Amino acid sequence: MLADALTRCHQDRVTGTLRVLGNAGGLFHLRDGVVIAVDSPGSPGADTLLLSSGRISAEDWTAALVESVGTRSVRAALVARGSIGSAEVEVVALAALQDAAFAVAAGDIEQCVVSGDSAEVTPLAVDEGIGPDLLLSETARRLDVVASLPVPVSPYRDRVVAVSGVGVSTAERREIVAHATGRRTARDIAFAVGRGVYPVVVEISRMLSEELLEIASPATSFSFSHGDLTSLRPRAEVTEVERPV
Amino acid sequence: MDYDALAVELRWLRENVTGVTDTVIAASDGIPIIADVAKNVEPAHISALAAADLGIARQAAEVIGLGALTQTVVFGTEGYMAVYAVGRMSLMVALGDKGLNLGRLLHESRPVVERVSSILTS
Repeated sequence: MLADALTRCHQDRVTGTLRVLGNAGGLFHLRDGVVIAVDSPGSPGADTLLLSSGRISAEDWTAALVESVGTRSVRAALVARGSIGSAEVEVVALAALQDAAFAVAAGDIEQCVVSGDSAEVTPLAVDEGIGPDLLLSETARRLDVVASLPVPVSPYRDRVVAVSGVGVSTAERREIVAHATGRRTARDIAFAVGRGVYPVVVEISRMLSEELLEIASPATSFSFSHGDLTSLRPRAEVTEVERPV
Repeated sequence: MDYDALAVELRWLRENVTGVTDTVIAASDGIPIIADVAKNVEPAHISALAAADLGIARQAAEVIGLGALTQTVVFGTEGYMAVYAVGRMSLMVALGDKGLNLGRLLHESRPVVERVSSILTS
């Protein structure tokens, strides 16, 4: 469904957005039929990748957002501040775009809606854009890689927990272990560590096969706790009951 | 009170809306009823804050003439706190990370609030 919609947008040289409804869902920003940016709740955006890697500071990002209100280009404002080069933004924006396309394709897709209205603010966009053919083939390749991993990991469903007492070697792995509380999915961990969801899924699969992580039990993933409220209405009666001091 | 039925609703929300990290149902005076939260989140604190937040939002809606309050959302650079009125007696909180699909949350939470309301009053 996504491939059809993107290909049609390319043929019609759409400038606007393709909204993918679903979970995680996402928003493809298009210019003359090529994809210039993709936003998805399933993957950290280019801003998160830039901030978490320390390439830009939170102050620069906030200032660039303010300055871009008139020009509508956060990217131009960011580069104008001199904190980062245009080429570096391009690389990160392209990585975020491909990661978001993967995040959309790996989730449930209910509906695709094309809008010619370009009122949506485009996030950090890739200058030249990327044609749907190239984007779709790269996305399919990533889905294949994830499907053939030694331990399959669903980025949205499997919640992972660190195996206690096992040491990990690299800083990236230590960061994943620190966030693997059993409540978080691969997607949640990707946001917490500020890395792409695709590399995090691949790394988590390897760590599962090396028994550094394990899939958490439902009791760990969902920890319900409740007080002794018996009902909302008879609260007055409860207060009359003798309570231990 | 049917805590299991409430747990089903909270679990459904976290599994079906990307980015929801923690959920709490509380009485509108801030007493927690049921919570599904990470270890570093204190349900009593979230419930108290949400009750105050909802109270102010409800008052604002009434004073400004915005009709009956349904929800209020706190936006932060690192995430969100959405608070829903569940009738006049209780509230539901959903915390989300910065990637939260807020549009989906607002859409999907409506039927959840309805069901939670009927569970709480049954």
